[in-house]
Amino acid sequence: MIKRLFRWVSVLGAMSLLAACAAPATTPAATTGATSQPPAKLILGAYTTPREAYGQLLPLFAEQWKAQTGQVVTFEESYLGSGAQSRAIVEGFEADIAALSLEADIQRIVKAGLITGDWHALPHNGMVSTSVVVFGVRAGNPKNIRDWADLAQPGLEVLTPNPASSGGAMWNILALYGAALRGQVADVPANDEAAATAFLQAVLKNVTVMDKGARESITNYEKGVGDVIITYENEIMVGRQNGQDYEAVYPSSTILIENPVAIVDAHVDKHGTRAVAEAFVQFLFTQEAQTIFAQYGLRSPDSAVAAATAAQYPPLADLFTITDQFGGWEAATPKYFGEQGIYTQAIIAIQQ
Amino acid sequence: MNAVAKRLRPTAATSPWPRRLLIGAMLGYIAVLILAPVGALLVGAFAEGLAPVAAALSQPDVLAAFGRTLFIAVLTVGFHAVFGTLLAWVLVRHRFPGRALLNGLVDLPFAVSAVVVGYMLLLLFGRNGLLSPLLTLLNLKVAFALPGMILATLFVTMPFMVRELLPVLEAFGTEPEQAAATLGANGWQTFWRVTFPALRGGFTYGVALTFARALGEFGAVLVIGGGVQGRTETATLYIYRALDERHYTGAYSAALVLGLFSLLLVAGTEYLRHRGKAKAGR
Repeated sequence: MIKRLFRWVSVLGAMSLLAACAAPATTPAATTGATSQPPAKLILGAYTTPREAYGQLLPLFAEQWKAQTGQVVTFEESYLGSGAQSRAIVEGFEADIAALSLEADIQRIVKAGLITGDWHALPHNGMVSTSVVVFGVRAGNPKNIRDWADLAQPGLEVLTPNPASSGGAMWNILALYGAALRGQVADVPANDEAAATAFLQAVLKNVTVMDKGARESITNYEKGVGDVIITYENEIMVGRQNGQDYEAVYPSSTILIENPVAIVDAHVDKHGTRAVAEAFVQFLFTQEAQTIFAQYGLRSPDSAVAAATAAQYPPLADLFTITDQFGGWEAATPKYFGEQGIYTQAIIAIQQ
Repeated sequence: MNAVAKRLRPTAATSPWPRRLLIGAMLGYIAVLILAPVGALLVGAFAEGLAPVAAALSQPDVLAAFGRTLFIAVLTVGFHAVFGTLLAWVLVRHRFPGRALLNGLVDLPFAVSAVVVGYMLLLLFGRNGLLSPLLTLLNLKVAFALPGMILATLFVTMPFMVRELLPVLEAFGTEPEQAAATLGANGWQTFWRVTFPALRGGFTYGVALTFARALGEFGAVLVIGGGVQGRTETATLYIYRALDERHYTGAYSAALVLGLFSLLLVAGTEYLRHRGKAKAGR
């Protein structure tokens, strides 16, 4: 009995040593020749909502790459809230490709020195897909939600994720604030920051759940939590494709969501995967891949694909961008989400 | 024991109702808090019959996730079985400066949120972490790899073994060991023949709690592991992903299997404790 226990403990010790030694061995030695024989592995670090689209895109690319080069490519996937994913990459998650919700999360990786190339050099400035911020309402719109102003009515239950981890949440806040500043919210005068902030606080008071990411937020909504969800248009569409009966309500004024993709140079060089990573990212901008994104509710930045899929995407009365309304993420991130930021202060104010 | 029972029984006999009400209330309490969620899980998992459950659980990535969870849990239990016992021993048998502090530190993992544990480990082992130069030098990967997840699980499960063994060791005292020594047993014989059998109950319970906690850990392994499918995904992280993918059969089936594991663990512990008692009684 005693001896058996000892053997058991020593086996465990040996196993832990093995585990520690096996870990570095999984990072392949840099074989940059891209010869067709050894299989390649690409690590994709993405935000939570395009997972169904990538579920179709990754095997398709692997098939094409195999046909072109004879090389087998496999993928390792991770889907987290955009902010959380970006921080994980900065902290050492060795993703070859970052597919995130917003440019600010790519910039964090650039500042960490891991993305060194000009990722804007990709088509459409590196924006692989676009979407808009919309509302999801219960079937038949029982609370009669038509526009931003309706979200502030007392007693309404609103879902939006947490901007600390979710990119979608940041888009939601800026869509609301931009609409208010542009005079598109009833009873909120244009270009009046105090009034816009008061409106933001009124809506935040109605927020009952703040999830880690947009996908978690909408699956909570599907379980019956809340009256309205503020989310990506593509999340509503993918949910409906999966049999959900909620409906999208398009506010009169909303923001154009632009989702960047970038190669993490430090990691592809370490893994020796630059060639296949570059081919993969280029593939994402092809009409074929763009059409697949569009099937999963993402508006294509490619004008031909956008025209071909226009029927499923309602036009918007007043669509603004992060650049024209807020001067880009470089300016908007500290102004709204920094420690003294408008959102940060608003959420503190309503908690008191 | 019998005297106490005799004193209590007549009171109950005068009116059975308070007793019945209390038992009924407790049954309802357990039903609401435990049976209802488990029932909902069963209904959710088997909503479309047995075949989808089997199909979901036999996916290679699901099997790998369970394998990873078991590997981490077994390793954690083995580690704490040795070092938790040693720590409890040191705390009970020795008086030294800083003992109170050490005793308090053991409980720290109870007080710290698991997500925070993950971030603390990132501060140590992350790319910009304090130990990063050393790890680069040794070509070791800890964050976003299995070693980090093992460390996180070791951290959150630290108190169980120590807390189970401390009171038993204290109650046990040193007299039986002194007696063993006077009868000529050496230190090792004393530990295995005298001390350890007395600790068996606490030890078994400590193992069960450590194992259960390791199986269920989520927040810390998500932060330190990154939830990479097929590489750093444990059973709980798979459940989280399956919910995100609206793959509810997969999520509920996996949750059910984890629950079943815990149930077997509890049953096994009870069995061992009774057997231990029976042996001690002989």
